[in-house]
Amino acid sequence: MSGKRNFSLWNIWVASTLLKVLLYPAYHSTDFDVHRNWLAITNKLPLKEWYLENTSQWTLDYPPFFAYFEWLLSQFVPASVADDGCLDITDVGNYGWPTVVFQRSTVILSEIVLFLALQKYINISADKEKARSFVVASSIALSPGLLIVDHIHFQYNGMMFGILIFSLLAAKQGKYLQCGALFSVLLCFKHIFLYIAPAYFVFLLRVYCLDIHENSFKTPRSLLKSVRWSNLFKLASTVMTVFVIAFAPFAYYGVIPNLIARLFPFSRGLTHAYWAPNIWALYSFLDRVLVQFYLHVPGISSIISRYIESESLISRLKNSTASTKGLVGDVEFFIVPTITPKMSFILTLFYQILAVLPLLLFPTFKKFLGSITLCAFASFLFGWHVHEKAIMLVIIPFSFIAVSDRRLLYPFHTLVNAGYVSLFPLLFKSPEWLVKVLYTLVWCIIYFLSFNEVSKLSKSLSRRVFYMDRTNLIYILGLIPLTLSIGVLDVLSENFELLKRLEFLRLMMYSVYCALGIIGSWNGLSWIYFLDDTLNGDSTQVA
Amino acid sequence: MPHRRTPSNNLLYAKVPGTSFENSPVFDFLSPFGPAPNQWVARYIIIIFAILIRLAVGLGSYSGFNTPPMFGDFEAQRHWMEITQHLSIDKWYFYDLQYWGLDYPPLTAFHSYFFGKLGSFINPAWFALDVSRGFESVDLKSYMRATAILSELLCFIPAVIWYCRWMGLNYFNQNAIEQTIIASAILFNPSLIIIDHGHFQYNSVMLGFALLSILNLLYDNFALSAIFFVLSISFKQMALYYSPIMFFYMLSLSCWPLKNFNLLRLATISIAVVLTFATLLLPFVLVDGMSQIGQILFRVFPFSRGLFEDKVANFWCTTNILVKYKQLFTDKTLTRISLVATLVAISPSCFIIFTHPKKVLLPWAFAACSWAFYLFSFQVHEKSVLVPLMPTTLLLVEKDLDIISMVCWISNIAFFSMWPLLKRDGLALEYFVLGVLSNWLIGNLNWISKWLLPSFLIPGPTLSKKVPKRETKTVVHTHWFWGSVTFVSYLGATVIQLVDWLYVPPAKYPDLWVILNTTLSFACFGLFWLWINYNLYILRDFKLKDA
Repeated sequence: MSGKRNFSLWNIWVASTLLKVLLYPAYHSTDFDVHRNWLAITNKLPLKEWYLENTSQWTLDYPPFFAYFEWLLSQFVPASVADDGCLDITDVGNYGWPTVVFQRSTVILSEIVLFLALQKYINISADKEKARSFVVASSIALSPGLLIVDHIHFQYNGMMFGILIFSLLAAKQGKYLQCGALFSVLLCFKHIFLYIAPAYFVFLLRVYCLDIHENSFKTPRSLLKSVRWSNLFKLASTVMTVFVIAFAPFAYYGVIPNLIARLFPFSRGLTHAYWAPNIWALYSFLDRVLVQFYLHVPGISSIISRYIESESLISRLKNSTASTKGLVGDVEFFIVPTITPKMSFILTLFYQILAVLPLLLFPTFKKFLGSITLCAFASFLFGWHVHEKAIMLVIIPFSFIAVSDRRLLYPFHTLVNAGYVSLFPLLFKSPEWLVKVLYTLVWCIIYFLSFNEVSKLSKSLSRRVFYMDRTNLIYILGLIPLTLSIGVLDVLSENFELLKRLEFLRLMMYSVYCALGIIGSWNGLSWIYFLDDTLNGDSTQVA
Repeated sequence: MPHRRTPSNNLLYAKVPGTSFENSPVFDFLSPFGPAPNQWVARYIIIIFAILIRLAVGLGSYSGFNTPPMFGDFEAQRHWMEITQHLSIDKWYFYDLQYWGLDYPPLTAFHSYFFGKLGSFINPAWFALDVSRGFESVDLKSYMRATAILSELLCFIPAVIWYCRWMGLNYFNQNAIEQTIIASAILFNPSLIIIDHGHFQYNSVMLGFALLSILNLLYDNFALSAIFFVLSISFKQMALYYSPIMFFYMLSLSCWPLKNFNLLRLATISIAVVLTFATLLLPFVLVDGMSQIGQILFRVFPFSRGLFEDKVANFWCTTNILVKYKQLFTDKTLTRISLVATLVAISPSCFIIFTHPKKVLLPWAFAACSWAFYLFSFQVHEKSVLVPLMPTTLLLVEKDLDIISMVCWISNIAFFSMWPLLKRDGLALEYFVLGVLSNWLIGNLNWISKWLLPSFLIPGPTLSKKVPKRETKTVVHTHWFWGSVTFVSYLGATVIQLVDWLYVPPAKYPDLWVILNTTLSFACFGLFWLWINYNLYILRDFKLKDA
C-alpha cells in the first residue's frame, strides 16, 4: 500500500459497537440491577439521602462523581423506559427490555471516552511510532475484558479507563497538572484506582514538585530548596479542588461518615466466592490440597497433626462445608495459617513501595507506566477481597509498555491470556459460552501476531532467556485444554449429579491455573523493571 | 495500486489483480494480514468472526418463541429430533402429522436423529417423546443454536472459502487475502444469518451441499458433484430450484454436441445419483418396504397446500391483489398454470447453459433459474429467497462494480422482503444491526463515513486515498436506468420501513404494510431476474481466458 496511512479507530468502533448491540439480549449480572438502582436513587432522592438509602441490598457504594454520573444518565431516561420500572426504588429490580436497551446503550455511549483517549494516543505519537500505537490502542479498544465485563456482565469500566488513559497521555506530554487533576477525577469515579495511586503520587511528586540534583541530599537545607513549592502548591490545590467538588455537597449534609463506610466495607472476606487468580488462590488451593491429604493419605495426617490440634480440625471440617462448595462467605483455612487484613495490606504496601522506588531515580514516562503496572499487580496479587475484574487495571497500563521491549512480550501475552480466561466464570450461562471463548481466542491470535510484529528488539537481546518464552508459550496453549475441559464438564454436569457438586472444583481450576500465569507474568515484568535499563529510556528511543 | 476501472458490463478487467472491495472496512481490517506468512490467519479470523456474529444473533428470539400451542420452526426442528430418536424409522413420516409432522426429505431426518441423540446425551428432557413438546429452556436454545452453527461450519463456510479460492486462482487473479475478503462478503450476507441463526432453520446445510456440488463442477468432478447435489435435495427439497441448470449443464457436457457423446461420464453421473438416493432411502425400504417412499414423497411435496400461503414477494401473490386466482381457478388448474409459467421462465437460462456450458456462467445460470422458480413456482415461502440469493451472492467475486452494486442491491431487497417474518419473530434488533453491518463491512456505507468524519478519523489506508469511485458509486449502478431503479427502491424500502415502524396499518387493511413490502420486493426481484438473464445472454460467448 502506498500513501500515508491514516490510523483511525473509527472502523473498529463501528464494528465493535454493532457487535455490542447484538449482545443486548445476552445475560447480565446483578451489577445491572445495581446500576439501575443507582439511577433510581439519584433520580428520585435528594442528594443527602443518596448514601443513606438502603431499600435494595445494592446500595450506592461508588464515590460521588459516579453518583453524579448516574444522576446525569437518569435525566435522559425516556418515559417508556421509566414506565418499565427503570427508576423505581425497590428491593429487587422489576424491569424489562426497554431498561436493558437504555442501560446497555449508556455503556456503549460512555465508552466513547475510551475511544477518544486511544485515538488521541495514536495522534500524539510520533509518525514512526504510529503503527505500534495503533496496535496497542486497538488491542485495548477491542479488549475481551471490556466486552465481557462491560457489555455482557455490565459495568462502566470503559469510560473509567478512558479517563485513566487521558491522564496518562497528559503525563506523556508533560502536562502534569492535568494528569493529576484527571487522576483525582478518576478516583472520585471509582476508588478501585487507589490501587495505582502510589505510582501517581511518587511520579508527580518527583517530576513536578521536586528538582533533585547531585547536591540535593547534602544538607537538609538543600533538600528543602530542591522542592518546587509553587508547583507543589498548584498540584495540591488542583487535586483538593477536585475532591472538594466531589465531596463538599455530602460534607454539607454531614453524610461523609456514611459515604466512607459505603466505599470501604471491611466486613468482606479475603477472597471472593470465585477466587481471583492471585496469591491467595494458590494459598487457598494449598490448604484444600493439604486437607485432602490429611483426610486420605495416612502418613500425612500424622505429620500435620503434630502442628495442628486434630480434633478441632475435624470438627471444623465437619461444620464448614459451605466454603468448599464455593458459596459466598468467608474462606476458612483449615491447615495453613489464617490471613488477616493487616497482613494482606502490609504485603501489598511492601510490593508497591518496591515498585515506586525506582521512579524516584528515573522518573521517565515508561518507568511510570511500569510502576503503575507493578502497583496494580501488587494490589491484585496480595490485596484483600480482590475481584477478578481488577485484572483489567494491570492489563491496560501493561499494554502501553509491552511493545517497547521484545522481552516484555511473553510476560504480557501470558498476563492477557491468563487474565482474560480468568474472567470466563463471570459469564456462567450457556448462550454466552462460545461468545466469550471465541472472542477471546480471536483477540489473542490477532494481538499475539500484531504485538510480535511491531515490538522493538531489545538492545540486550543476548540476555533474553529463551526457555522462559517457551514455557510461557506452553502455558498459554495450556489455557485451551483448560477452557475446553471445563466447558465439557459444565455440559456434562447437566446429567451427572457428582459433577454438579464439584462446580467449585472447576472454578478452582480456572483460578489456580490463571494465578500461576499472572504471578509468572509479574515476575517477568519485575525482572526487567528492576534489573534492566531498557524501561528507563524515553519513548522516542528506537532500538 | 489497484487500477480504476471504467464501468462496463463485461469481464474485461477480470485479470487485473484486486477485488471490488478495496475501500471497504473489511479490507481495512484484513490488510494488516496481507504479508504472505500471515494470510492464512485472515481466513480463520473471518471464520471466527462469522461465527461470533451468528452466535450474537442467536442470543435473540426465534420463531414461535413462547407461543403455544404450535410454536414455530424452532419447535419443528426440535420435534423432529425428538421423534427420530424415539421412534423406529418406519414411523418417522407417519407419526402425529398434525403436530409438525416430518415434511423434509430423509437427510434432514438423519441430521435430526444425530443431533437428537447427541442432545439427549446432554439432557434427555430436551427430546423426551411427546412430553417435551414446546419445551423451552436457555440451555436447549444454546444447544440448538450450536447445532445450526456447527452444521454451517462443516458445510457452507468451507464451501464458500473454497469457491472464492478457486475463482480467485483460476479466473480473477486474486491473492489469498482478496479471496478471504470476498468470502467474508458472502458469509456476512444478512439473510442467511438471520434465518438460520435467528428465525432458526438449517438452510446452510442445503445451500452448503449445493455449493459443494457447484464447486465440483468447477473441478470437473461430475460424480461428486451429483452426489452433493442429491444430498442437497435430500436435505431440503427447495434445492430443486437449482436442478434444471445442474441437469442441462451435465447433459451438455456429456452428450452435446452429439459427436462428443461421453457415455462414461453420463453413466457415472447417473449411477452416482441413483446410488446416493438409494443409500438415503434404503433404511426406510428395508424396514417397511416401498410404501415408505410414497409417503415420503407425499410429505415432501405438498401439492395440496395451494398456490401460496403467506404473503410472499412472487408473481402469484403480488398479482393476486388484482386477479383473485383462488376464486377463478381450481387448485389443480393453478398448479398447471404455475408449472407452465415456471417452465417458460427457466427456459432461457437452461437453454444458454446447455449451448454454452461454461464455468464462468454457472453462478449466473443458477441465479437466473432459481429466481425464476422463486417468482413463478408453486408454494413459495418468503424464506425461499435464500435459494436464489446464494448463487447471486457468488457474483461478488466479479470485478465490475456495476455487478457488485446490483448484487448488493438485490441482497438488501431480499433481506427487506423478509422483514414481516422477522418482525413476527421478534428479531427487529438483529434485523437492523445485520442490515447495517453487512452493508458497512463491504463498503456500501463509505459515503456516510466520508461525509460524517473529520479528516483524521477517516479510516486508512482505504478511504484516505484519492479514489472517488467506491465511496460514492457502489450503492447504485452507473447506468441511468438501473441507477434510478436502485435509488427509488431504496427510497421506497426506507419509507415502508419507517411507516411500518411508526404507524399501525388501517383496520380495514391489516396487511397493508406487508403488501407494500412484497409488491416493492417483487418489482425489484422481477427486474433483477431480467437483468440476470440479459447478462447471461451477453456473457454467453465471452472467453475469459483471452481477456
